[in-house]
Amino acid sequence: MNFLAASIESLGAKVVGWFTVGYAMFAFLAKAGLLLLDRTTWNRATFDVVVKQVYFTAVQILPVFLGYALVISWLIITIILSTARDFGLTAFASEMTIRVLVLELLPFLTALFVALRSGSAINTEVALMQVNNELDALAHCKVPPMQFEFLPRLIGGVVSVVILAGLAGLLALLMGYLAIYGVSTAGFEPYTQTIAKIFDFKIMAGLIVKCALFGLAVTLIPVTAGLETPKKLFMVPVSVLRGMMRVFFAIVTIEVVSLALKYI
Amino acid sequence: MAAIAVLPEDVARVALDLPLRANLSALENIALIPLYQRHYDAAESTRQAQAMLDQLGHAGIALLRDPDMTPAERFVTQLARALILKRPRLVIDRPGAMLYDEPYPAFIGQLAAREDMTGTWEIYDFSWNQVLYNQALDSE
Repeated sequence: MNFLAASIESLGAKVVGWFTVGYAMFAFLAKAGLLLLDRTTWNRATFDVVVKQVYFTAVQILPVFLGYALVISWLIITIILSTARDFGLTAFASEMTIRVLVLELLPFLTALFVALRSGSAINTEVALMQVNNELDALAHCKVPPMQFEFLPRLIGGVVSVVILAGLAGLLALLMGYLAIYGVSTAGFEPYTQTIAKIFDFKIMAGLIVKCALFGLAVTLIPVTAGLETPKKLFMVPVSVLRGMMRVFFAIVTIEVVSLALKYI
Repeated sequence: MAAIAVLPEDVARVALDLPLRANLSALENIALIPLYQRHYDAAESTRQAQAMLDQLGHAGIALLRDPDMTPAERFVTQLARALILKRPRLVIDRPGAMLYDEPYPAFIGQLAAREDMTGTWEIYDFSWNQVLYNQALDSE
């Protein structure tokens, strides 16, 4: 009986914990959204920090990221093409390549890449700022941490994931063409027709929204996880661990919901 | 100590519990104030921050980040940040905790005596450190 009560109690505490975390995250997002609509937010200082964030999140990693996208795309295209040939489905190879790579795999891997590189760094930095009282110091100086520290990170994350996924997608389209038709221009018309058939308005809008949500997840969750950190230095790794687990679950959830909406 | 906790909002504090942003230089830490509070552009904010460091006689620390500073340099940056707030009162809260390797009453006295330094600086310290201030006053 005691075991049952303890289990129910523990489950209840977990559910309450999830709701608390979820509420804090949505409250933070609502605050950021309202601030985004405020004209005074859009001053030169905030814009400069946003540009800096996009540089650190997207531009700085571009060569490594494009190399990684190139290798992954080449591998997946080769696998799809050889499987399609084995089953006599060569006619569907280009469509399959675009759907698997550009619509699903590359945005997902981009989000994971940015989460591991920038999300973990953001989580650690915000947690350390919280533990070291740096946020209190900014508040004392009436420098709004939301405008100076958090909002630029959210915008930078969204812009970066959308741009990086877009670039990786373009690279995959080029690789797909080269793998299927080689350097000849003969396949240009059927290939572009396949692209046009797949990328209708709904799919394009869905892809952009999905990438934007990925971008938001890899920045919003680490920021809120960092802010939850108790003022104890040894809690920083725990905060990063929790934050990154939440980011992983959020990315997977967004991908699963997007797949379900598209194909079910 | 109780007095510190109830200080009004028009007080600029220099205290151990109000540290600098660790990933910003001294200049950037100070320039944040004119940038975000008075909406100056980045160039003008940086100029004002540099002028404040010049005034305190520590122009050379402009590009240092918190972990690269000595306690005295860190204190000067925190002081410059508090001064640029231009609040009616400036309170230095337990300076011994920040300037642990300096004879700090004399050091603060030297900073306060610099040219163009206006206003009154209030120091909150433990009563048993009173003797250090007496020594500094005697040596002047």
